[in-house]
Order: sequence, then structure tokens, then C-alpha cells
Amino acid sequence: MNITGTLMNYYFHCQRQCYLFGNRLNLETNSEDVKIGKVLHELRSDGKDNAEISIDNIKIDKLTEDYLVEIKKSDADITAVKWQVLLYLYILKEKGIHKKGKIEVIEKKKTDKKIIYVELDEKKEKELIDLIDEIDTLINQDIIPPVIHQPTCKKCAYYEYCYI
Amino acid sequence: MGKTKYIFSVGELKRQDNSLCYRKEGTYASPNHIPIEQIRELYLMNEVSINTKLLDYLSRMGIVVHFFNYYGHYSGTFYPKEYLISGKLKINQAIAYTDPRRYQIAKAIVNGIAINMREVLYHYYRHDKKMLKDFLDYCQSVESLLEKQNHIKHILRVEGSLWARFYETFKHFLKEDFIMSKRVKRPPDNPINALISFGNSMLYTKTITMIYHTHLDQSISYLHEPSESRFSLSLDLSEVFKPIIVYKTIFELVNNKKILLAKHFDKKLNYCLLNEQGKQIFIKAFEERLAKTFKHPVLNRNVSLETAIKLDGYKLIKYLMEDKPFEPFQLKV
Repeated sequence: MNITGTLMNYYFHCQRQCYLFGNRLNLETNSEDVKIGKVLHELRSDGKDNAEISIDNIKIDKLTEDYLVEIKKSDADITAVKWQVLLYLYILKEKGIHKKGKIEVIEKKKTDKKIIYVELDEKKEKELIDLIDEIDTLINQDIIPPVIHQPTCKKCAYYEYCYI
Repeated sequence: MGKTKYIFSVGELKRQDNSLCYRKEGTYASPNHIPIEQIRELYLMNEVSINTKLLDYLSRMGIVVHFFNYYGHYSGTFYPKEYLISGKLKINQAIAYTDPRRYQIAKAIVNGIAINMREVLYHYYRHDKKMLKDFLDYCQSVESLLEKQNHIKHILRVEGSLWARFYETFKHFLKEDFIMSKRVKRPPDNPINALISFGNSMLYTKTITMIYHTHLDQSISYLHEPSESRFSLSLDLSEVFKPIIVYKTIFELVNNKKILLAKHFDKKLNYCLLNEQGKQIFIKAFEERLAKTFKHPVLNRNVSLETAIKLDGYKLIKYLMEDKPFEPFQLKV
């Protein structure tokens, strides 16, 4: 099973969402936020050649001389984004490309910075490999993780499925 | 969620840049442009010319197209490429057909029909049609009638008698010209049968569209045999909505004299077919009913009846994946 950036991200805020997505039960999304996110990516990358690069099973928003850039609409779950970026850095490193990570946040609410930097060091790399294993196990298990009952559930594309 | 677009006239539909373009036959006025973003499904109710360039585009946009012929008979559906596929669910869906879960689902559907029929007819009972009492009681007994049945034939027999008794009740509250002697399909032989056939096909196609937006496989069904139709799961899931959506619409149109025998049926064919105006009146009322929202007791948000069909799809997925008992939609909870 190849772990994608989305799976890594989901793993942090909801294991159930991660499981469903990993098992291709990705529900139809009517979410306005998702649409905004898509447009933001398009706007940011418009007319630039280094926009959205697909390597293996990951999609990178932007690559510059020193940085791998991930663009996010909001900083609602910055830990999840950090690990998503670390996963990308790791996959690039395996291919002999050494970069640092940069997260550009368009709407900041929780952090006071618009740009957040992350770097892949040895300790994080170990943690990351463990995480990949955990996600792999999670997705291949037969039992679907329970609903987490968080206020954020209401905004999730899976809300109707989880709560019905 | 997008809207439904109906085309009733003869003409030509094509793709023009990134939009749909419709030209009615015999008119020289500029063609009608239909923005594609808002559309979820298309109904072509007459002879409309299309080409593969259009179909390719509709497929890419995930738009389902239903074709009806001039007589209002369902001809088929253009089903765009699947975009939601889950191997795990598909396997579970097939296994459930072969194990006792099949009977659980089939029974839940038949009982759901009875509950919703009761809810619809209770309205007339309250308005002095006391002779409906027997039928209402019968609806309540369906659950226990089903309990012991563990053969699909027996479950279907309960369903058959439920519908037969339901039609029997029409004479108590329906306008005289529309009282039916018996249900006749393909082709319907009287006006009420014509309305039922048309309404059921409409609901069936709506359900196809709603299931398209879930991961369910349209061909694996539980109450109906999977071999019955290419979209037999739609036959299953649309069943409990028939009393609420199709029959309530018919009763309203007939009893409020919005649909008239002399005006909205084709005389030449013994009043057994709706004419174009009749179809349009029916579809307008049908769409209004589907768009009606209610506060969903579990989700605690406003949901339309149309969305409720999709939610029944989700409930089925949940039963198949997580063993949560499948309880189809009920008008009142």
C-alpha cells in the first residue's frame, strides 16, 4: 500500500476518515472549503511550470531551488500538514533530492505565521517510518475505526455517512 | 448538488466550448445555452439528437442522462464512467446477496413500504375515510408477517399482497374517473396506471442518479433479482419512496384536479397515455416534492427527499461495511 499525502494528513485528524479514504470510500464532496482549496491551488500555480508535480503517488504543489512548498487554505490542523510535508520530503530524499519544507497558509487563525518551515531530520524520519507502518496496518484491518464526534465532523464530506 | 434539466421538445443538444447548447427544431431563434456546472442529470423526454462529443463531455462531468421516448416510456440511461469505486464494498455487496443479510435487507424494504403507505393513507383516514382502517392495520402487521419468512419468494409474496391491497384502497378516496380496477403494466390500460407507470419510471431513474454518486454497484440487489435489470439496486432502493413520492404526487394531482382526464391524456389511445402537457404537470409536481426538505432527526440538518434517497444508499453501505442494521427511509420518525 502506498501512503499518499492525503492519507498522512487524514491520519492525524481522523483515523476513520483515513481508513475510508484508504479503502477508496471517498465520498462525493459538496464542501465549499474543498472547492476553495482547489481554486487556491490553481491560482497559485497559474502559468508557472513548476506547478503540481506528481512523483510516485504524491502530488507536490511547488518545488523551488531549496524548498518543497505546500499551499493550504487554513492552518486548522498544522501538525497534519507538517507530517504530510515530511512524507513528501522523505519520498524526494529516497530519490536523491534534498529539500526543505515550506508551508504557505492563506488564512491564518491558530498560528501567527503565514509561512511555516519544516525539515526532515533523523529523528523525524524514524517517526515517519513508524507512522507509515501504522497507517498501513490501519487501512488493512477489517474493522472501521469509530466516529470521533468532534465539532469538525459537521464540515467533513463524510459527515452524512458517519452519522446516518 | 446540481439540478435536473428536462428537455421536452424535439431538437439538437450539443457541446459548445464548455457549455451545453440546445436548439429546438424548426426555430431560428438563437440556441439556448445551458451552463454545465449546475447540472447533475439530464432528462431527454423527446427525440433529441446528440453526438459522441457531447456524451464524452457529459461523462467527464459525471452527468447522468435518462432517455424517455415520445410516449413517456423509459428507454434507458447514459451512465457516465464510474468515479467512486471501492473494491472492499463491492465484494461485501456481492457476499451479502448470498448470505442471510439478503433477507434482512429485503424485509427491511418491504416493511419500509408498508410504513410509508400507512403514513400516506393515514391522512385520508383522518379526513373521515374510516374504511381505510383495515388497510392501516394490515400495514402494521407486515413486520410480523415478514418475521418468520426466510425465503425471498415468501418475502416477495408479502410485498405483492401489500401493493394489491394498497391499490384496492384507491376507490375510497380517489376521484371517480381515476379509480383503478387493477394494476396493469406495459402498456398501462387506463389513466391511473399510466400515471403510476410514468411516476415509477421517473423515481427509478432518479434513484439511478443518486446511487451513481455512491460506491454501490447498481447491478447487485437484494429484494429484486440482480438479473431483473441492469440497475436492479435502484429498483430496491426506490421502493420505499414510491408511496411518498410517486403516489402522493398522483393523489394530489388527481384530487385537486390539476390533472384531468379530458385534458391531459391522449384520447386516441383510450386515455392510457399522458400527453405532453400532462407529463409536464406531473414532472413539475414530482420535482417540487423531491425538493421538499425536512429536518433530519439524526443528522440534524435540512435534507431534501431527493438527498434522502442517497442517504439510503449510505445506510446500505453502512450495513454492508459496518453491520449497522439497514432501516430504509420513513416519512415520519
